[in-house]
Amino acid sequence: MKTKILYTHKDLVEQSKSGDRNSQYQLYDLYVDAMYNVSMRILNVKEDAEDVIQDSFVDAFKNLSSFRYESTFGSWLKRIVINKSINQLKQKKIALVPLDQHEYHLNEEIDPVITTLDIQKIKTSITMLPQGYRQIINLYLIEGYDHIEIGEILNISVSTSKSQYHRAKKKLIKIINTP
Amino acid sequence: MEDLEKYIKENKPLFDEHKADRAKIWATIDERLDTPKSTTFWQSPFLKIAASILIILSGFSTYHLFVSSKFNGTEKHQIVNNELSDIDTYYKGLVSFQVKLIQEHPKLQEKDKVAFLSFMDDLDQEYEILKLEMTKNLNNEYILEAIINNYKKRIELIENLLSQINNSKKINSDEDYIL
Repeated sequence: MKTKILYTHKDLVEQSKSGDRNSQYQLYDLYVDAMYNVSMRILNVKEDAEDVIQDSFVDAFKNLSSFRYESTFGSWLKRIVINKSINQLKQKKIALVPLDQHEYHLNEEIDPVITTLDIQKIKTSITMLPQGYRQIINLYLIEGYDHIEIGEILNISVSTSKSQYHRAKKKLIKIINTP
Repeated sequence: MEDLEKYIKENKPLFDEHKADRAKIWATIDERLDTPKSTTFWQSPFLKIAASILIILSGFSTYHLFVSSKFNGTEKHQIVNNELSDIDTYYKGLVSFQVKLIQEHPKLQEKDKVAFLSFMDDLDQEYEILKLEMTKNLNNEYILEAIINNYKKRIELIENLLSQINNSKKINSDEDYIL
């Protein structure tokens, strides 16, 4: 398969590769908020997210020579942020996926119907999800990763990712529908 | 359920609700980018460079010391040679002049001249041996002193001889010279 080359912010990236601090700051300025939000959705702790962002940008700039435009710089950086955020959770020994594996229930249950679509209600409901469910909802619905990528990030199988996502979504709808 | 997925995906930007403390995070990133990568002591590239410089400097110092000592030796050799040469020239000139006086002295018998010059030849041989020793052991001040004494002895002998010749004019013309 031919790799797509995505030259987003190519000049800034190239100048940053050569260590130009001004270009590095411009890249930082472009992506810091988005990356901070990615990390906050996973970690939910301001200080932890700041540490992850610092580590991620430092690592990204120091290893920029390995960036070959096979994705956008943003996607490359986001993957670094997500991996570091997940590692942060692992260090705190927080379970990344729910322990229950009762997949046979899935086909027997009827999918719930959402009664209201309100962004604030949805955001609040996501924060009320168990840690494992929250990660998979974030990664799939908000960060836009597919189940193969989620499997790589969380170190789980594709089928586990799919089943966990399905359950997480049902749980989320249940919370949203709760008055 | 599909409605929820579609709604979240369409409203992704609204999930970025956090603002990063840009200045604070950048200050740390900036500082860390100035700090070299953390490596073990022996893997440090700076240590490797420092070690290389140290080896080069040591090599250079050793070479310099060697050359310098050789030069100093040569220099010392030169000084001693010059000193010896000056002494040699001075005494040789003096001895040569006085030997000439003896040879041309009208009142000195031929056999006395031969005996005197033979004694001077012995001293000459001693001088040559001392001079040879001097080239073998340049730092030997004792040899140099012996050479000077050799010259002094010759001059003293000549002076004594001349003195006796002069005195004999006043005392007794029949008296033999005692060497």
